[in-house]
Formats: sequence, C-alpha cells, structure tokens
Amino acid sequence: MAYWPHWLVVVVVAPLVGAVLAPVVGRGRPKVVALWALAAMGVTSLAALNLIVRVAEDGPFSYDMGGWEPPVGIELRFDEFGASVGIICLLGMLALLFSYRYAEHTLPTERVPYYYSLMLLNLTGLIGFVVTGDLFNLFVFMEILSLSGYALVAVSGERIAEMAAFKYLVMGAVSSLLVLFSIGVLYSVTGSLNMADVAARLGDWGARSPAMLALAGLSLGFMVKAAIFPVHIWLPDAHAIAPSPVSAILSGLVVKVGVLGMLRVYQIFYAAETLDLTGLNTLLVWLGAISIVMGAFFAIFQEDVKMMLAYSTISNVGYIMMGLGLASSYGLIGATVHVFNHALIKATLFLSAGAMIYRTGYRTLHDLRGVGKAMPITTIALSIGAISIVGIPPTAGFLCKWYIALGAFQADQPFFGVALVFGALFIFVYYIRMVNAFYFQPATHPEIAEVSEAPLSMLVPVIILATLCLVMGILGRIPLSFIEPAVTRMLAPLGG
Amino acid sequence: MIEALWNNLDYAASVVLFLIGLYAVIAKNNLVKKFMGLNIMETAVFAFIVALGVVEGGDAPIHGPDAHPPFTNPLPQALILTGIVVAVSTTALALSLIIRIHRQCGTIEADELREME
Amino acid sequence: MEVVDIRPMLAPLISFVCAGLVFATGRAAFWRRFWSLAAAVAKLAVVMSMLPGALRGTVYVFKLVDFTPGVGLGFRADALGMFFAVVSSTLWIFTTIYAIGYMEREHSRMRFFGFFALCVSTTVGIAFAENLLTLFLFYETLTICTYPLVIHEETPEAFKAGRKYLTYTLIGGAFVLIGTVVVYNLTGTLSLAHPGILTSSIDTGTLGLLFVALIAGFGVKAAIMPLHGWLPSAMVAPTPVSALLHAVAVVKAGAFGVLRVIYNVFGVELLRDLPFAHVLAYLAAFTIVTASFIALFQDNIKRRLAYSTISQLSYIVLGAALLTPLAATAAIVHIANQAFAKITMFFVAGAIQRTTGKTCVHELAGIGYRMPYTMAAFTIAALSFIGVPLFAGFVTKWYLSLGALEAGDWWFVVVLIASALLNAAYWLPIVYLAYFKAPPGTTMRVAEARPTLLVPTLICAGYVLLLGTTANVPGMPFSLARAAVQFVFGM
Repeated sequence: MAYWPHWLVVVVVAPLVGAVLAPVVGRGRPKVVALWALAAMGVTSLAALNLIVRVAEDGPFSYDMGGWEPPVGIELRFDEFGASVGIICLLGMLALLFSYRYAEHTLPTERVPYYYSLMLLNLTGLIGFVVTGDLFNLFVFMEILSLSGYALVAVSGERIAEMAAFKYLVMGAVSSLLVLFSIGVLYSVTGSLNMADVAARLGDWGARSPAMLALAGLSLGFMVKAAIFPVHIWLPDAHAIAPSPVSAILSGLVVKVGVLGMLRVYQIFYAAETLDLTGLNTLLVWLGAISIVMGAFFAIFQEDVKMMLAYSTISNVGYIMMGLGLASSYGLIGATVHVFNHALIKATLFLSAGAMIYRTGYRTLHDLRGVGKAMPITTIALSIGAISIVGIPPTAGFLCKWYIALGAFQADQPFFGVALVFGALFIFVYYIRMVNAFYFQPATHPEIAEVSEAPLSMLVPVIILATLCLVMGILGRIPLSFIEPAVTRMLAPLGG
Repeated sequence: MIEALWNNLDYAASVVLFLIGLYAVIAKNNLVKKFMGLNIMETAVFAFIVALGVVEGGDAPIHGPDAHPPFTNPLPQALILTGIVVAVSTTALALSLIIRIHRQCGTIEADELREME
Repeated sequence: MEVVDIRPMLAPLISFVCAGLVFATGRAAFWRRFWSLAAAVAKLAVVMSMLPGALRGTVYVFKLVDFTPGVGLGFRADALGMFFAVVSSTLWIFTTIYAIGYMEREHSRMRFFGFFALCVSTTVGIAFAENLLTLFLFYETLTICTYPLVIHEETPEAFKAGRKYLTYTLIGGAFVLIGTVVVYNLTGTLSLAHPGILTSSIDTGTLGLLFVALIAGFGVKAAIMPLHGWLPSAMVAPTPVSALLHAVAVVKAGAFGVLRVIYNVFGVELLRDLPFAHVLAYLAAFTIVTASFIALFQDNIKRRLAYSTISQLSYIVLGAALLTPLAATAAIVHIANQAFAKITMFFVAGAIQRTTGKTCVHELAGIGYRMPYTMAAFTIAALSFIGVPLFAGFVTKWYLSLGALEAGDWWFVVVLIASALLNAAYWLPIVYLAYFKAPPGTTMRVAEARPTLLVPTLICAGYVLLLGTTANVPGMPFSLARAAVQFVFGM
C-alpha cells in the first residue's frame, strides 16, 4: 500500500506551528486558544494514526529531510517504538481538553495562551524525540521538551512552584549537558550523528574507552531524566506542584524520555556489539529495584495526593528500568509496554486527582475524605487507576508486572522477580490509604458532600483514560504483538 | 600519561571546566552562582565539541574563490550554534525564575529558601 | 469430551453485570433486591444447566482473549470446578435472602450488595478458571472485592481488621503470582486441563520452592496455620459477610486453589515421588487439632466459629495432601459439607444477634426456648461437624479415614477422632446451654427471627441432612466429586 510520505514531517511540524501561533490566535480569548491547540493536536493525531498503520503493515521506515540522504542529511525514523507517538497524541489531546476549564481557573487570563503554547511545544519535543534518527536532533528535541517542561511547572506562579521549577531546571540542564557531551564523544569516535550509522561504525571501533565514556554519559543523563533513585530528587516537587494536566504529561510522558533515551542507547550499543553491557544492566536492575521500594516508601508518608502520585512515578520508572536491565525478551517487552500503560494509568490518576482539587480546593487525603460520595465518577476513575498501577489483574498495570517478573525468571535472576512482586505490595499500602479516605472514612469537611461532579471537559478525558486502563489489560496483546518484532530485532545481536 | 594529556590539552581543559561548573552547581548556595556554574558546564561542552572539528592549519569552511583546503569541520560549529541557542533560552528561563523567586521570597540563597518551605 | 460453550463465562458474568446494575440503580431498595435475587437465580440456573453434561463427563470450555500465546482469560467447567460452582451459586441465593433481611437497617447498602455480587462473580470465576493466570486474576480480584465488605462497619476496629486481611491475602497473592510466573517459565503453559503440568525433569529444589510459593499463596485464604491470623479478626464484618467469607467465597477459594495446585499443576503422580505433600499433610493435621483447641476457649460465638472454620478447612487440605483417591473424594466433598454446615451456623449466630442482641456463648442459656427452630438448625450443623452418621460431616470423615488408611498413615485417623471429640467439646455445650440450662422460670415463649433470616437457615440445615443421607444418589454433587477424582487419578 502506498502512503503519503510527508506525514512523518507533519507529526512534528503541526504541533510546532500550533505552539508558535497560539499566543497570536488566542490573545485575550482563552476559549479560542484551547480549541486552536486541540485542532493542532487533532492534525498531529491524524498523522500519527497514519504512521502507526503504516509501521504495522510495512515495518520501520524513514524520511530524509529535504531529500538529503543520511548520514549527510537529517533523518526522521519511525519504528515500532515510535508508536509511542500514538500515546503522546492521545494524552496530549486529553490533557488539553482537561485544561479547557482548568487553565482558566488556575491561571490569569492573559497567560492562558502561553500555557497552551508551552503545552504544544512540550508535545512537539516529545514527538520529535521519538521520531528523530539523528543524535543531535535528539538533543534538540529533548531540550525543547525540557525547557517547556520547566516553564510549565512554574506556570502557576506560586512560590513553591518556582522553586520546584528551578530545581528541575538545574538537574535537567546538567543531565542534558551530559547527553550532549556524550553525543560529542560519539561523533568524535564515529564521525556521524545518525543513530543507525553510529551503531554500524561503532562496531568497527572495538570496545575503547571513548565509547565507554559516551555510554556512561548517556546512561547517567537519561537516568536523571527518568528520575530513577537516587537522582529522582527533582521529580516529586515538580510533578506535584505543576497544574494537574501538566503533571499528567510530565509524569506520563516526559519522564519516559529518559526511558526511551535508554532504549535508544541500548539500540545503538547492542547493534554495535562492541561493549559488554552486563555492568550497565546490573546497575539498572538494582537501581530499578531500589527505586520501586524507595518510591513506595516515600509515598507512604505523604499526605498530599499529588505528592503520592509523583512518588509512585518513581516506583514505576523503577519497573521499567528493571525490565530494560534484565535484557531478556519478556523483560524488555514488559518495560516497553509499561511505557505506554504507565502513561495511561498515571494520566488517569493525575487528571482525576486534578478534577477533585479543582472542585474541592483541597489536596490532602485528610481534607479530601468523603469525596467519593460527592464526585462518584471521578473517584471511581481514580480507584481504577490505583488498582491498575498496583497491578491487580485484569488491568493494564498487571500485564507489565507479569512480563517483567517473567523476564526476571527468564534471565535467571529470580531475586528481581520476587523483589518486583513484593515491591508492588508496598505501593498498595498508600493507594489503599487513598481509597479508604475517599470512600470509607467520614468527611473532615462536611461541605465536601455538596461538591458537584467535575465538568464535562474534565470528566470525558478521565473516563476515557480509566476505560483504557481496563481495556488495555484485557486486550494487552495488541501493543504486545506490535512491540515484539522490535524487541526481537534489538536483542538479536545478543543471540536471544 | 602526561604526553597524552598534553596532546589533548583542549579536551582536558574542557573536562576541567566541566568539573568546575559541576562543583559550583552543587556547592554554591546562591541561585545565581549555581546557575553560573551551569553556564560554565555548558561552555565546557561547547568548547569540547568545537575542538573536535579543528583541523591543524585548517581554514574556515567558506565556499568561494579564495577557499582552499584543508578546512576545519563545519558540522560541530553548526551544532554548537544550535546548542548556544538552547543555552541562551535556558539561561533566560532560569534568570526569570530567579527574579520571581527573589520578588516573592526576598532572597535567592538556597538554604534560606529551604527554611521558608 | 470438550465442548465450546459460553456458559462457563456467563456464570461469573451474570453476577458481574448484577453488581453493575446494583451500583447503577441500587439507591432504591426494590431494585437492589430485585437485581441481587434475579442474578442469583439466573446464575444458579446457568450452572445447573451444565450439571447433567458435567455428570456425563462433558467439559465446557470458553476462551475469551489471550494475553500472550497460550495464556489468557479462559473458562473451563470441569468436574472439580463444577462442584465448587454448584456449591457457591446455591449458597449465594440463601445468603442473598438472608442479607436482605439482615442488612435492613444498615448503612451503605448499595455498596454492600454491589460488592457482594462481585465477590460471588469472582468465586465462580475461580471455579471455572481454565488456567493458573485466570485463577490468579480472580483470586486477586476477590481480595479487592471483599475489602469493602470487611470494613463495612467503618469503625477503627474494622479498618484494622481490613488492613490485616489485606496484608495477609495480598502477600498470599504475591506468592501465587510468583509461583505462576515460575510455572510458566518452566513449562510454557499454565493450563489446568491436565492432571499435572510439571514433570520430574525439573530439579527438586525448584519444585520445592514452587510448591511452597503456591501452597503458601493459596494457603493464606485456606487459613492453614500459621497463615490464619486474618480470619478471626475479619469477624468484625456483618454476619452475611462472615458467612460469605467463611463458607462460600474466600476460604473456599483458597482451599480450591490448593486442590488445583496439587491435582492440576503438580499432579498426584509427581507429588508421590516428592516429600512435600507429606509435610503439608502434617501441617494440616496440626492445624485441625490446634485450631479446635483454641476454639474451645472462645466465648464470642463468631470467633469460635472462625477457629472451627480454620480447623475444618484443613480437612480439605489434608484430604488433598494424602494423595489417595478416597482422601481426594473426601477433600472435594468437604467443600460442600463444610460450606452448608458452617453457613447454617453463621446464619444462626446472625439471627440470634439480630433478634436478641446476644453475641457470646455464655449468654445463650435457654435460647432454645425462645428460638427453637434456629437452635434446631444449629444442632444439625453441630452434629455434622462432630461427624455423626447421617449428617454431612460424617461422609467426609469416613472417606478421609479410609483415605488415610489407604495411604498407610493410620495416625491421621487418630487426628480425625481427636478432632471429632474436640468438636463435640465446643459445640455440644452450646446445644446443652440452649436447651437444658435455661434460667429458672423460662417458659416456652417462641420469638423467632424474622422469616428472611429463619428460612435460609432452615433450608441450609436441611441441605446438611440431605448431603449426609443421600450422598450416593446419582445427581448429587457427590458424583461430581467422584468424576473429578477419576480424572485426577486417571481412573
């Protein structure tokens, strides 16, 4: 089947154009700019859909910008991992829809257009990061999404928000520099910036110290972005204080940049077959396990709902990193699928928590007691998200737990399978607290009973996401069969 | 060892700069100083990458009647141009954040800010 | 003979839909009751419609979706699963009627009936699980669905019990998950359609750890000592919930899981060559005696019932662990025998509490004068637990003793006799108190519980007699148990 080749450009350019024009279009008209942003993401989603259908039928393909062939020209590349564009578009659309009322409520009117502009820029960065085949562009897109991310954290203008944004910015900038430095090293070694090309040329080079240095720099940089323990310190404040739709995007997608970055690193270095990655794998598995436990441990002592959710992100990134580090096919499948599923689940949680905060004005468990009776649909959605993230079957979260645990046994490291399953129990503890407070404990503030259900523009995204949390658990084969060939290809050099 | 270092003086210098910057980021208490450390790190990385493209006795890679090889590698320079743009926007964002923190809290010392939390 | 049929999936689905309808329309008492009862009847009808086929040896299979090649959501109604399903869906009707009467003045009734239906849905799901993953799925869901029921009172004590319940059962669930993962990693299948999927080519150490993981996982809900701690605390729940937890759903799910692990995952053949089952048998024997001892000293009726449950459940585990056909028959049949007798007792305890407000054994003096029918039902259940012939419990004890002798372990018979004596020692005093220790001046003034409480109690007591006297009549659940045993032992 023939495809219009330029969709791969559209998917990056459409949100970018939307972002640039948003302040112009939406001057003083917050409703219009919201619709404008949604339209931009609509076009992007259309393009993304097209690309995903194409990759499902024909396998990976690439697009040479301006007709220049790589390694000279800049290449956009779309493989099975690129299908994460789909989830980016979906979450982007839903978060923007959610913002329709939320942004107006939390921000001064004159800032609303800039908010949408930043959101679209962030999504541009994410999509670009996924589809680029060029290392330097990888860095540029990463910076686009990071910078807009820092600004989005601070957008509410509260004192704590600005401090959180600053902390995030410093950590983020250091990690970006590490990545840029490593890209420079890789360029000096191979003379190329195209990822496929770098992988091929590294193979000729042998295991030399510059390649090691690049590997270390890239891994460390992406670990900071992924907020794995112990370099997670920037995450809780930033994710908890940002406006809820932003938290959903940051926690669901932006953190995954670190993970996808690690995936790219693995793609390059596995294909190069020059370095023994066992050390890195061991490190990732251990850090993953520690992150799961520590994330859960810190979350138990939080009172603020969004703080709990932020710490739970650390645990979940721990799952994913563990899956990557296991370097077995099941582990890798579990990790990649969890990139999708965790995005869905965490967005459900943050958006429904956001709806509660929007309606009640409270954000601690103690204050939110009894909200389950006042906002039944939102609370059910949040509970579904909670059940899913803890990994109770048949929800989306279970699938990843199952695969990563299976991957641990497959890789003959049963300890980590056990650690994962029991680590998940820790996570249960604070979600039970949450559900107890919302449903079973008597209300602290009696007036909470008079709060009405969230407005439709918030309810719709929350319901869609919660439904997907359930459906993706049962229909888990779809993303799975999609990812499998890519994983097999990636692990082929290992003989597994 | 020393010889290797001497031959790669440009790389060594950028690593040292990088570490100086990192030290400032971690150890300085003042947010502006922290950020200056970050800028030093940026400069170090930029210098490193530009140094990659240097060719002994190379000329500026500008096409024209006077141009004659060898040329220095133009690619790293082009990259760093982009890198500088990114760095400038980071700086702008950070400074505006610092200004607003100062306006609201009256201080930009990290320890005092932590106490206020 | 395997037949593709939607009914094994329909059965859990009915209660699931019922739960949805209750949540949607349950603010009105009428609809709440209507949906609960209609679903209970519909479900029993679906399960019963499979009974003739199951007795002829037909196995109904329905595969829904695959998560990964060969593993997915699948339903399979074989003889063992049918047995459990018949018992639980029969009891659901009675418990629902009873709960309608019992909960009349309680708060949050919509939540109660909704989760009640979900529990039964998952229980039948466990019965009809085609593979270990589906079994785990429903096992874990059951934990979640019972939590709102356990903490229904919303008192600090209830929350404490709820926490304890979740801690025990979720850790158990984690063990089951690990076991499931290991089985899949070793064999590439999780199907429960064979008499054993593990083989002796796997090294013994791994098999041992696997056995421990799976049995510990299911053993938590089956309350094998020392994993029983949650059960007595969970007594704070309303009585219909206790009945559901103790007789129908939760504990039986654990016991059923143990049966599946022994018969369908490991297989009798393999376990005979390994020492693990023997250890389990000793553990079960220990539980039988110790729990009975503890029960002797409980004054609260429901707590005494709880320890009795712990003791009775280990009959099932012991029967399974003996690995002989007769003991297996006893184990399977005891699912029904214990369920009907125990639910009768809980109904009685609840009826007494609702009618007179009494919750302790020593307050029961002379209660037989006031509630003669209720106490008659209690007496029947008590005699069944003691193992008097003509009552359901006797059938279990008889076959279990034969099974123990068949296995060459005569001293398990001693354990059974000791247990019978202990049962007599803690049940008969209640009967005695009720009828013969009336305070002076008590006259025969009948003030029975209201019909919604009394009728289910009497019917369940009637079942206890029926199971005891007509075990061998064709068409009774007993023949299902026999079919299951024949499959497991390849006879």
